[in-house]
Amino acid sequence: MQDYILSIVIFFPAVAAIFGFIINKNSMRAYGVAVGVIEFILSLDLWWIYNPNIAGFQLIEKIPVIASFGINYQVGMNGISLFIVIMASFFTMIGIASLTPTKNIKNMIITLLLLQMTMAGVFLALDAMLFYAFWEFSLVPMLYIIGAWGGPLRIYASVKFFLYTFTGSLIMLVGLLFMAYFYYQTTGVWSFSIPDWYNLVLPLNYQIWLFIAFFIGFAVKVPMFPFHTWLPYAHGQAPTIGSVILAAILLKMGTYAFILFSLPMFPDASKYFVYPIAILSLIMIIYTAMVAYAQKDLKQVVAYSSISHMGIIILGIFSLNIIGISGSVFLMIAHGIVSGALFLLVGVIYDRRHTKMMNEFGGLAHVMPRYATIFGIIMMASVGMPLTINFIGEFLSLLGFFKESHTLAIIAVFAIVVGAIYMLTSYKKVFFGNITNEANRHLPDINARELLALIPLVIIAIWLGVYPNPILRPITKSVTHIVEIMHDKEAQAGRLSLVSNPEKLALASQATREVR
Amino acid sequence: MEFYLYVALFAPLVGSLFSALFTAKKANKITGYVASFLLFVSFVASGILLYDVWHGGSVHVHLMTWINTGGLYIPFGFIVDNISVTMMMVVTTVSMLVHIYSIGYMDHDEGFNRFFSYLSAFVFSMMILVMSDNFAGLFIGWEGVGLCSWLLIGFWYHKESASWAANEAFIMNRIADVGMLIGIFMIYYTTGSLQYDKVFAALPSASPYVVTLIGSLLFIGAMGKSAQFPLHTWLADAMEGPTPVSALIHAATMVTAGVFLIIRSHALYQMIPNVGEFIASLGAFVAIFAASMALVNRDIKRIVAYSTLSQLGYMFVAAGLGAYWIALFHLVAHAFFKSLLFLGAGNVMHAMDDELDPFKMGGLGKKMKWTLILMVIASMALAGLVPFAGFFSKDPIIEASFVSHHYIIYATIWITAGLTAFYSFRMIGLVFFGEERYKIFGFHPHEAYRFMLLAMAPLGILSIIIGFFRTPFYNFITNILPSTIYEVHPEALAWGMNIATQALVVLFIWYPWQKYAKFKGADKVFEQHFIYKLLFNQYYIPNFYNKCIVVPYTRVSNFFWMSIDLKIVDATVDLIANTLYKTGKKTRYVQDGNLSSMLKWMVFGLVFLLLMAVAYGLAFEYPSKIAEILLNLGVH
Amino acid sequence: MSIGLGHYLILSIILFAIGLVGVMRRKNLLLLFFSTEILLNSVNIGFVAISHFHHDLTGQMFALFIIAVAASEVAVGLGLLIVWYKRQNNINLDQMNSMKG
Repeated sequence: MQDYILSIVIFFPAVAAIFGFIINKNSMRAYGVAVGVIEFILSLDLWWIYNPNIAGFQLIEKIPVIASFGINYQVGMNGISLFIVIMASFFTMIGIASLTPTKNIKNMIITLLLLQMTMAGVFLALDAMLFYAFWEFSLVPMLYIIGAWGGPLRIYASVKFFLYTFTGSLIMLVGLLFMAYFYYQTTGVWSFSIPDWYNLVLPLNYQIWLFIAFFIGFAVKVPMFPFHTWLPYAHGQAPTIGSVILAAILLKMGTYAFILFSLPMFPDASKYFVYPIAILSLIMIIYTAMVAYAQKDLKQVVAYSSISHMGIIILGIFSLNIIGISGSVFLMIAHGIVSGALFLLVGVIYDRRHTKMMNEFGGLAHVMPRYATIFGIIMMASVGMPLTINFIGEFLSLLGFFKESHTLAIIAVFAIVVGAIYMLTSYKKVFFGNITNEANRHLPDINARELLALIPLVIIAIWLGVYPNPILRPITKSVTHIVEIMHDKEAQAGRLSLVSNPEKLALASQATREVR
Repeated sequence: MEFYLYVALFAPLVGSLFSALFTAKKANKITGYVASFLLFVSFVASGILLYDVWHGGSVHVHLMTWINTGGLYIPFGFIVDNISVTMMMVVTTVSMLVHIYSIGYMDHDEGFNRFFSYLSAFVFSMMILVMSDNFAGLFIGWEGVGLCSWLLIGFWYHKESASWAANEAFIMNRIADVGMLIGIFMIYYTTGSLQYDKVFAALPSASPYVVTLIGSLLFIGAMGKSAQFPLHTWLADAMEGPTPVSALIHAATMVTAGVFLIIRSHALYQMIPNVGEFIASLGAFVAIFAASMALVNRDIKRIVAYSTLSQLGYMFVAAGLGAYWIALFHLVAHAFFKSLLFLGAGNVMHAMDDELDPFKMGGLGKKMKWTLILMVIASMALAGLVPFAGFFSKDPIIEASFVSHHYIIYATIWITAGLTAFYSFRMIGLVFFGEERYKIFGFHPHEAYRFMLLAMAPLGILSIIIGFFRTPFYNFITNILPSTIYEVHPEALAWGMNIATQALVVLFIWYPWQKYAKFKGADKVFEQHFIYKLLFNQYYIPNFYNKCIVVPYTRVSNFFWMSIDLKIVDATVDLIANTLYKTGKKTRYVQDGNLSSMLKWMVFGLVFLLLMAVAYGLAFEYPSKIAEILLNLGVH
Repeated sequence: MSIGLGHYLILSIILFAIGLVGVMRRKNLLLLFFSTEILLNSVNIGFVAISHFHHDLTGQMFALFIIAVAASEVAVGLGLLIVWYKRQNNINLDQMNSMKG
């Protein structure tokens, strides 16, 4: 079973979703929770069998699909994807468990399970076509979640979300095809396998064009300024669970893809574009933080804060050194946990009052002390308090980028100020002061179902902040591998060719089953 | 000894978590007792460590790895040496007494349990700050005390002003932390480590420019925590918190963290005396600047807060001039008498139902004899009267500035010593003596609980006697710190200076005593004076910050959202989408549903494509001829 | 004069033009089918002629395919036409415009 564990992790939820159609409506939630728990345990099993001695991809499965064009069903994982997959299944699990009673809960659970399949697929795929298929397919469940369970503007928001990201990824598809073509030109065989592509050395001008094509696809997904405007609408209209998954996992697809494709395949172009991208990231960090401060809707504050944090992640990735990239991968996990928790928390008051406008609230700390406490802890994690999960990611990302550019890093460090400004102000508006709105006077405090979802997140947020090593070590290992690939290629940049020591790179990715 | 280190460090955390368990419950005295007891445990453990260090020991432990990636290695390491054990003693002593005091002070408060949870958490963060053996650990504590300060200033969160002040404090500290964080980054890239010992060993080989930069950046961090100009406004506003908090955090411990940082990094600052001079100058400026604002303030807590600010200025003068041991000694002495002063102010507030205006008090001395005595002791210590603590800790700073030939600094802080005496005894006179004005406002003051007074008593005793420990302290601390002695020569001049200072202080005690102990009514003419208004409005700096930073920030944020994000970025996206959509809408009439017209379109399209193909084929076949034809037509 | 490939192709073009004009101008669905048949057969003539003169049977094979497809197309088309006539009582093209864009 272990040989096929990755496929099981990917397709188990899909199979379960199909069986979901024949499950009784009343027992659907129990079924969904059970599937979620099993999926989570399966993904934890990945951690168990993860071999920390292998820096590259491991547990690779490869089944030819269109052999003549080198398109395979190929999956594998490394220390980076491992934790994102675990986080995805974790959020699917608690997402289903904490689902508020809503119309058509059966379809919601089926959609979430399909979404889980696509998320696991994106992060585990090692074949570019497979990656692309999962990447695009992930839009569909999300589109459905926003469109079917969203707020009043749901159609606009979901169509915008879909078309925007779809357009971006079509450009990425062109890049993928060109990449395969260049591989064919160099070697005479077609291959869409990402580890194979790592062996390809491209001239700088090719790299630049391909980098741009990929960049547009990824940037829309992240979302990077100025491609970010779909996100506030999507978050504003999506139901709580949609926002949670969107912020925690789907956004990470973009940043993960930067590490999977852009850095190891186009190292020179990545270096070439460091400054433009860093400036975009700085705009993301400072500008969106200020926009977040201007928001009147609590959920929009969190949505814009997501963009701001994603800016730090991008900055860390383009530090192009081990500390920065490890930090940004860690921050992906951290931001997933924290922003997921924040959206769940916003959902708590939305369920009670059916509004998210901050001026409707005030003084909630009086009536909902437990809620205020948890919100406070998560908020402090979000503003990067040391000993919480976010701090480690932000610290390492900024430290890494500081090596690349002092001036830009100094501006980026102001993230800790602007972040504190919007978060503390919003917290004050919602929780402090006296109760001004009578509707809030008898709000029930957070209940057991909500606690069930939030307490694990709080624990993780603090645990990994105090002791990040269990996940930081595998991440560092894989990031070191990626950085080594970059340096190997930089040393021999120039003509379209294969790296001169391909055995080293190829073996790193192939040597899996034997070790197991 | 490691055991005692962990006990000293973690006992407050246990107390905090224990109290946190009760936060949802009704006020329960047990949390106060347990938290205070654990603080006592921590105090005893610190005492044992002090004993050990006194006899030449030093403890350095490595608890576990915190961050380890790509060549960066940061452990949770703790060190107990002469500096940190001094700080530990100060922190545990003051916080233990403040805990006990708070049991009485927060007696009727609903958030009693929550309060102790926060307060103990603060002590834990402070212990991390002082005990850590690396800059990252220092930063953990640094931010941790900031967080607890935020929680405690905003403790009465129903008050708008309190939560506003809490946010102000947090954000201003964050601004300073930017400097600190960048300083830490630079340290890492300069020395490859964040451990104090390695950093200070490697810095001498770094370029002087980088060292200067690092020193300045770390000092920016210190400016935020220690509320130095221009980041000082949060400290006065922080007085919205409960008074024990002000005593512990905003007088004795957290605000002195900046000074501690300079002392801890003395090896760094010794290399850059020019930065040190800047620190000293800023300190002297803040000393007189804050003292001047305290002169006219009408809020007893704010008066004490400004005096704290002023005394922090003194500490920075000493630290900046390289007199680290004097700075640390003043820090210790100040912690005791200033927290005593705050606790006394707390007693007054309690008696007066949280009234803060000293002009509404008067004659309280009759009702609150013990508070009066303790407050007078603290004020005399603050003023630097012989033989109280201030004389032994503050006057050496004045002398040090004289000896090191910084005469402007010397003059400034010498005058400030007079102002200090003035505002302290203005407050004492207004609050405790003269007409009983509170009767008009219908207050019924009463003395505080006896155990609260008992908790204050040790601070009172320490304020009197701590000065006599200067020489042993000097011998103890100069194991690590530079052992420069600042003695004025000739001896006659030293005597003369001491007497002059004492005379100044006595004069400035006598004058407000005359004026305010028999206070009849506010001097209207005086209050119309420009200088009074300037001082009373804190040099209009809070207004300035509000108008020039807060309001524009809000405006710019709104502009970014409304005008740029929605009207430009998003509108562009929608424009592209709408253009496509409208094109579709316009051209849909081609598909009018009539089969024959559609067939016509199809035929046209077919013919068009056919022609294109033919043209392309011809062009491909006869490129030279086409070029010729085009040439004949005059096209190049 | 002997009849060569050119003649067949010209015939094919003439027939194609007739069919094309018919397709464009006729308003009766039945006549449209006739025109379509003319179009298809004109192409068939072209295929068969070229096949013959080039000694390659592929063209004739293709013509057979076209005949088969045309037959099935007409069968389906006429079926639809009859259904349409039963519902609307006419087979005028101008009234078949329910599929507007």
